[in-house]
Amino acid sequence: MARMTLKERYHHMTRLGWQPTYQPMEKVYPQATYEGIKVRNWDDWEDPFRMTMEAYWKYQGEKERKLYAIMDSFAQNNGHLNLSDARYVNALKLFLQGVTPLEYQAHRGFARQARQFPGEGASVACHMQSLDELRHTQTQIHTLSHYNKYFDGFHDFTRWHDRVWYLSVPKSFFDDASTAGPFEFIVSVGFSFEFVLTNLLFVPFMSGAAYNGDMSTVTFGFSAQSDESRHMTLGLQAVKFMLEQHEDNVPIVQQWIDKWLWRGYRVLSLVAAMQDYMLPESPMSWKEAWEIYFEENGGALFQDLERYGIRMPDYAPICAAEKDHLSHQVWGILYNHTAAAAFHTWVPDERKMDWLSAKYPDTFDKYYRPRLEYWRELEQKGERYYSQTLPLICQTCQIPMGFTEVANGDPMQVAYRSTEYNGDRYHFCSDPCQAIFEREPEKFVHAWLPPQQIFQGNCGGASLEDVLKWYNIQPGDNLDYAGSPDEQRWLEWKGLAAAREAAE
Amino acid sequence: MTVNSIGEYPVLPRDVVDNFHGNIFVVLGWDKHMMISSPMAFPLPPDMPFGALVQEVMPAAFGPHPEWGEIDWATVEWTLDGEPFTPDMEKSLADNGIGHKSVIRLRTPGLDGIAGVGI
Amino acid sequence: MQIDIKAREIKPVRQTYTHLKERFGDKPMSRYQEAIYDVQARENFHYRPTWEPDRELFDPARTRITMGDWYKFLDPRQYYYGAYCITRGRQQDSVEQNFRFVEKRGLVAAMRDENRALVLTHVVPLRHYEWGAYLNNNQICHRGYGTALTAAAQFHAADRLGNAQYLTRMALLLTGNDPAALEAGHGAWMDNDAWQPLRRLMEDSLVVEDWFELFVAQNIAMDGLVHPLFFDRLEKKMTSQGDALLAMLTEFTAEWFAEEKRWADRQIQVAAAENPENKALLSGWYGKWRDLAVEAAKPLAGAVLGDAGEAEAIAADMDARMRKAGLEV
Repeated sequence: MARMTLKERYHHMTRLGWQPTYQPMEKVYPQATYEGIKVRNWDDWEDPFRMTMEAYWKYQGEKERKLYAIMDSFAQNNGHLNLSDARYVNALKLFLQGVTPLEYQAHRGFARQARQFPGEGASVACHMQSLDELRHTQTQIHTLSHYNKYFDGFHDFTRWHDRVWYLSVPKSFFDDASTAGPFEFIVSVGFSFEFVLTNLLFVPFMSGAAYNGDMSTVTFGFSAQSDESRHMTLGLQAVKFMLEQHEDNVPIVQQWIDKWLWRGYRVLSLVAAMQDYMLPESPMSWKEAWEIYFEENGGALFQDLERYGIRMPDYAPICAAEKDHLSHQVWGILYNHTAAAAFHTWVPDERKMDWLSAKYPDTFDKYYRPRLEYWRELEQKGERYYSQTLPLICQTCQIPMGFTEVANGDPMQVAYRSTEYNGDRYHFCSDPCQAIFEREPEKFVHAWLPPQQIFQGNCGGASLEDVLKWYNIQPGDNLDYAGSPDEQRWLEWKGLAAAREAAE
Repeated sequence: MTVNSIGEYPVLPRDVVDNFHGNIFVVLGWDKHMMISSPMAFPLPPDMPFGALVQEVMPAAFGPHPEWGEIDWATVEWTLDGEPFTPDMEKSLADNGIGHKSVIRLRTPGLDGIAGVGI
Repeated sequence: MQIDIKAREIKPVRQTYTHLKERFGDKPMSRYQEAIYDVQARENFHYRPTWEPDRELFDPARTRITMGDWYKFLDPRQYYYGAYCITRGRQQDSVEQNFRFVEKRGLVAAMRDENRALVLTHVVPLRHYEWGAYLNNNQICHRGYGTALTAAAQFHAADRLGNAQYLTRMALLLTGNDPAALEAGHGAWMDNDAWQPLRRLMEDSLVVEDWFELFVAQNIAMDGLVHPLFFDRLEKKMTSQGDALLAMLTEFTAEWFAEEKRWADRQIQVAAAENPENKALLSGWYGKWRDLAVEAAKPLAGAVLGDAGEAEAIAADMDARMRKAGLEV
């Protein structure tokens, strides 16, 4: 039998398409050209990984077998009792409400790309990613199902993702990608998020899980890692392919990279707050993660892409200036509005404040500790501060406008940006969010902005009570951690555990 | 720039004034008082007097701040949609030039926030 | 530290997620139920798709089929990702054994020349047919509504890619790794008269807009003709002549089709039972694509079985399936 290289063999295993002749190309692949990306030859596509379905089934099936065995034993042994503290669980709530539905959207989006890319190599890689993303959706739901049985804030995550104010941040991010053409989608999800930013999501959640005794989530995370490495190589390959196919593609790709790194960065500000404040034991600060994964690794990547004419987005200095403030500002926003959120916030204890002070020596003690101490004072008087009003949110990223002019030397002044379109004003948190709007105003005027929707009467009524009912946020899901049913149960369980240990 | 699409892309703004049942969407922000973590938004009747905005609406947003009671209203510096402006407390929001999605900001010289750093 | 506390002391607050509790009450759910129900976003979409601006991102109006609850489209196999991959992974062991057996026993050399030639010209081109089916099921996943059906469609797409890859392996095994066999198969798919009606039908299906019609066209009508023709009738014919190679190397595909039919038929049954309009639509689509598929299968049945009329016989089995699923046939 003649020898055949793995590469040749994989080529034959996947080059299964044909040039249609009974129907025109543009009807069979209607999404292939409208974004202006020019492809001279799909045969130039280099397969980023070579995995047949047969290998995929075997490999993934084996991983699933192991993962579910650990999930089962975690549940049987009440693994949640080994957590560092019940506050940690709020990170998982944010994950299930905010991230899991995005995995699902990625699944559907990559199915579209598998159908729409005329090149078989690209199609097959997208198809496998679509399967993987479904895996992540479902294994996350299954992993967190145990937590849902013992903690509030998990039970209605799909409805919350569609309705609740802070979840419109991740939802609108992915709606934006999913409603874009196939090439923009792959730059947004495959490259910007999966390749450049993924560690900034992965490290806080998965290392956070390890640091806080959550073996179930750790196992999920490691099990997902080999999928993620495939996704990263696909994202990079897709971008290089576009850049190599035609020089006219370069400015289009640059514009998408500019847009999507900023969109991703803004979504990750929620992760920054989670990482610095929700994790009782933190593997690293947001600032450290940003420096390693974006400034160093991302910097090297952009040097590598220079030969294609791609440059680092020009707003990078804004991110650099914000890194000392981002997590604190967003925690402040979440703290203000926890009455309408399906997770808890709190004023960190002294030990945590000292950690924050060590990690943010230039800003925490000066700008953020006094605020937390004042809130703690109010709390001790029985007057825990909850905002009674609704925030102005950014038309693009949909985060309440709590970001400041830090890049312009004024860290305690809210940054206001606005523009007019068709006779109406639109407000933004930053120059990049404004620029994103101005490139596609037709799209962004249609954004479903929670405060505006409440005022228009589309969310169950005008009072907080009405809106919470429409959200289906139940008592116990919201408000401060102190005094929550989560806290009460935790203390009870741990007390029981201590008593039992003593008896033995 | 416009969006690339297959077929015509409909322009469907969700937040036009007609959707607010007679109200306008008004934004209030107190500069350098970051305990209130962002500007706040309100649906308000355009014939509401500006004085009522100050006395009835603003406290809902800013009242919890320890400096709220200390404001000397004679020295407040106002801006409306980025321009300096002197409101007439008796006149309505509309007659003060406040429109749908206007931003009203107040600056309170001498009140520098908690710890004197703009909180 | 081992924490040893009896279950009664650590009581769950609830048994499952709210969207499942609303359907079934507060009790423990299966992995399938938690993985499938209500996972797709339903409302408050932020932007219109640039690729279809007159619709929402997920929009039930991409088909004329209407449903009160799109999560009635359950999978009788209860596949969620883990169950699906574990099942398929396990099946690969017997596939491997079959390929090894064929090599070890020299079944390729023992095969009759005319059967070997027939496999190369009339089975190997199905690589492209399976690829078309893969595209169509990705399309159903992309444009469909409700995770119950769309997730199963994505597993189905993966199966089709797997089928195409097994056909590729078979061609390479038959020819001692000669890629010319694949080129010849591609050539037959593109130019051989017997294949053209089927290729035309496949290309016509690729431009069908209504995703449920596409489901009927691909997963019921075309597959209902093509799979039994090649992986049942032809296989049996060759086996009866002493050539078990085709049966052994496509055993997975044949088993898969038996399994897949249960799922596909259930979807038709559920949609048809929902309301008379659905039933009428489905019956119409089925009649249209069935007749087209029969015509497309005739020259192939003639070529591989020597009897073009066998296409009608296969269609009669399929008609019986669809009658059982509730359609007017």
